[in-house]
Amino acid sequence: MLETRNVSVLYGRHRALENVSASVAKGEIVVMLGANGAGKSTFLRAIAGQTRKMDGATVLMDGTDITHRPPHEIVETGIALVPEDRGIFADLTVRENLILGAHPARARAFEADNLERVLTLFPKLAERPKQIVRTMSGGERQMVAIGRAMMSAPAILLLDEPSLGLAPMLCTELFRALARIKDAGVGIFLVEQNAKQSLAIADRGYLLDNGHIVGAGNAAALTKDEKVKAAYLGE
Amino acid sequence: MDIVIIGLLLGGTYALMAMGLQLQYGVARIMNLANGEMLIAGAFGAFWFYLGTKASPLLALLFVIPLAFALNWAIYRVLILPLVRRAKSQGKLEVDSILATFGLSFIFIGIMVAVFGAQYTDYAYLSEPIFIFGERYGLNRVVAFLASAALCTGLYVWLHKTRAGLALRAVSVNPSAAGLVSINVARTSAFAFALGGAVTAAGGVLLSMYLTFDASYGVVFTLKALIIVILGGVGDIRGTIVAAFILGLAETAVATLIDPGLTLAAAYILFMIVLLVRPEGLFGRRTA
Repeated sequence: MLETRNVSVLYGRHRALENVSASVAKGEIVVMLGANGAGKSTFLRAIAGQTRKMDGATVLMDGTDITHRPPHEIVETGIALVPEDRGIFADLTVRENLILGAHPARARAFEADNLERVLTLFPKLAERPKQIVRTMSGGERQMVAIGRAMMSAPAILLLDEPSLGLAPMLCTELFRALARIKDAGVGIFLVEQNAKQSLAIADRGYLLDNGHIVGAGNAAALTKDEKVKAAYLGE
Repeated sequence: MDIVIIGLLLGGTYALMAMGLQLQYGVARIMNLANGEMLIAGAFGAFWFYLGTKASPLLALLFVIPLAFALNWAIYRVLILPLVRRAKSQGKLEVDSILATFGLSFIFIGIMVAVFGAQYTDYAYLSEPIFIFGERYGLNRVVAFLASAALCTGLYVWLHKTRAGLALRAVSVNPSAAGLVSINVARTSAFAFALGGAVTAAGGVLLSMYLTFDASYGVVFTLKALIIVILGGVGDIRGTIVAAFILGLAETAVATLIDPGLTLAAAYILFMIVLLVRPEGLFGRRTA
């Protein structure tokens, strides 16, 4: 279980995030909805240790305080982030990207097993292990990115707008893959603008506006919520 | 024909020293202008070892490499790391590190002049002829080339076939993503910088076997390494090797056909053409 309490982030004098408390457990999908600039990416970066958090913030992973650890140590606790720019190694091959995903000490012993699992999840990656990732399409790169994250055998997967820039058909495929990852016992926390498809596979959701959490609830209730319908579902 | 062979022999030895700068600039992201002084220090190490023991200067590699590694690691920790921590952007770090290592190069020159003197230095090792396709070449050039090729191959295989080598390339390609796969970027950068310094010093040992040098000659090699790295593409090992051969051939051709005094000028003309026409290097991709 990953839990944040009162996470605030300052960009210069601008408060990008204020007292955000949220959680995600293993085996559930939680979605955070919000407009561009609401602070969604900042929140994920803060959890992964890429952004400084203000005093008073706490991030707990299975009860252990990881608030001020550097990114490479946070990965070792079982949290894997796929950032907005995908966080892939564009000049390296598909296989090298996946092997790098298993770089954390926690994942090395299971490298072969995890590789097989990732290649089952994304068969396209199995077809061309030697392709340089830079030369792949947006959808394929997203598969490499998620595959790379899965190689670290995460308990919790953080995804920053995974559907961004994907064609509708690829989106559907992607969300189906996420549902399968969840069924394998991994907790997924994703931030999205694509409210419809993400709420469809999510268990719970948070609404983020201007750095504040302005709503939360289970996915079914959020889908029916008038505010959500107006702001995110375009109804 | 002999232009081609001498050029290839020279380029092969250049490849090693340029790999050193490539590791420092391509992985650790430090443009080290004191790189050439490290090469000269390696050359003096070989000279001193050869005078003292009369054994093969190649054996000097056994102590030059670890010493240069330790020294460069210390330089990174003491001088470079505070700059990395302070830098707000990559551009700012580049300016700071260029200024700091430029100053450092004068410190090195001063120390080497004090220890070894300012005179031209060389020594005669294996200066006997070897015949290739009927033409005579210095055996020391051939031995230096073979040693450089062996070290370059070893380095290449290590970078491409081991987990540690892959981690180094990952930092070179995308440092922030490297952190996300649990690579300690600060430590890996320090290691790459130290390894780069050791590789450059090894290049100095090999070049000293047939070149005349003095304490202040390092800047010439810094510039040559820089030309090779930019020509080959930053972060591109394969490009570095090809570019080293191109520079070796170009220098030899100009020295033989036109005038030996123009070799550095020729290198520079090559460099400017690259900067104007293909700034991303031979195999590099244009970044948006």
